[in-house]
Amino acid sequence: MRKKIFSLVGILTGLLLWGCYPHGPEYTQDLDIVVTHHNPDYNFATKGTYALPDHIVKITGDLQQGDSPEFIPDINASQILARIESNMSSLGWTKVAYDASPDLLFLPAAWETTTIYYYYDYWDWWYGGYYPYYPYYPPVYASSYTTGTLLMTMQDPTLLGGNGNPVNQWTGVLNGVLNSTFNATRVNGLIDQAFNQSQYLKTN
Amino acid sequence: MKKILYIFIFTIIATSAMAQTSMMSWQYSMGFATGNLKEYTSPVSFRGVTYNYNKMVESGAAIGLELGWNVFYEEKGYGTYTTGNVDYSGKQWRYSNNAPILFTISYFKNPDENVTPFAGIGVGTMYSERRTTMGAYNFTGDGWHFELKPEVGLMYNTEGASLSLSAKYYYGFKAGDLPAEGFFTVNVGFVVKR
Repeated sequence: MRKKIFSLVGILTGLLLWGCYPHGPEYTQDLDIVVTHHNPDYNFATKGTYALPDHIVKITGDLQQGDSPEFIPDINASQILARIESNMSSLGWTKVAYDASPDLLFLPAAWETTTIYYYYDYWDWWYGGYYPYYPYYPPVYASSYTTGTLLMTMQDPTLLGGNGNPVNQWTGVLNGVLNSTFNATRVNGLIDQAFNQSQYLKTN
Repeated sequence: MKKILYIFIFTIIATSAMAQTSMMSWQYSMGFATGNLKEYTSPVSFRGVTYNYNKMVESGAAIGLELGWNVFYEEKGYGTYTTGNVDYSGKQWRYSNNAPILFTISYFKNPDENVTPFAGIGVGTMYSERRTTMGAYNFTGDGWHFELKPEVGLMYNTEGASLSLSAKYYYGFKAGDLPAEGFFTVNVGFVVKR
């Protein structure tokens, strides 16, 4: 009898510990991240002008198969582009037209990624015990989430890589789980953070 | 981590059926990280459990098996981190799961008295997994450490069962993706003798 009680206490303690296992993010904003990368050999301080498009390309479809390029809605793009301009201006940059020989080309793009994940287990509680499912048809739990990414790159049109294409001198990536509506405050905060952590972009 | 739970439950049931002159103990374990583990996550853990099975082989001497599970966790506030030319910002959730599996040798002084001091050493392995959640992404590293564990403690013997209080230090050598890591534990629990 004592052996059974001891085993039961042990099992319950293990399950209690499992139940106390710490959990992670609770809100979608908790999952927002900002990543920036720069070429340390590129001297941003000696530059001062950049060009920025009026639209933001949405990366989807396959242009090589003849698909037409898509853009994110202008109402959202205009807010994003205005915030980028504001931050670039704060760092001392001047926006110019593409045909005015800018020092850098600022190229924003966006895309969405949906991740579907599933989980199944051959074991589960059944009539007070922890038994394997029989025969082999465990329940499958599936769910999904969609993340949105804004990619910002700056390229010097006079510096080409080995493949003949311009090389990114600065890259900023904003990534987060998407809500049903565009949240300008949230996106603006992430754009600001990308520039705040890139103070080497300051011009003379 | 569910595997650890399965191993736990299986071992308890299996050793419960073993021969007499043995001791089984369950302990609640509080962990205090040291060294590299302390830099990675919160230094204090209140999530831990240990199971010991000891078989008496000489007067006061015992050999045994120990299984444990200690979880260290920290929710880091919003921060910016730098690796090379890359800067990344966001919140982080850091988890360190540690599951020692050790063979133990212990000595119990005056096992028939009300208070029994004991000391021991454990040798074996410890599976550790570190997981950092940032954004929608998980970054995981793990390893099977070669593990050493000294222990000292006291048992207060009552009719049928005993209470125990012990201190242990787990040290795992560098293994897999992980550096060497260690942590102290303070353990309280009960012991059943047969």
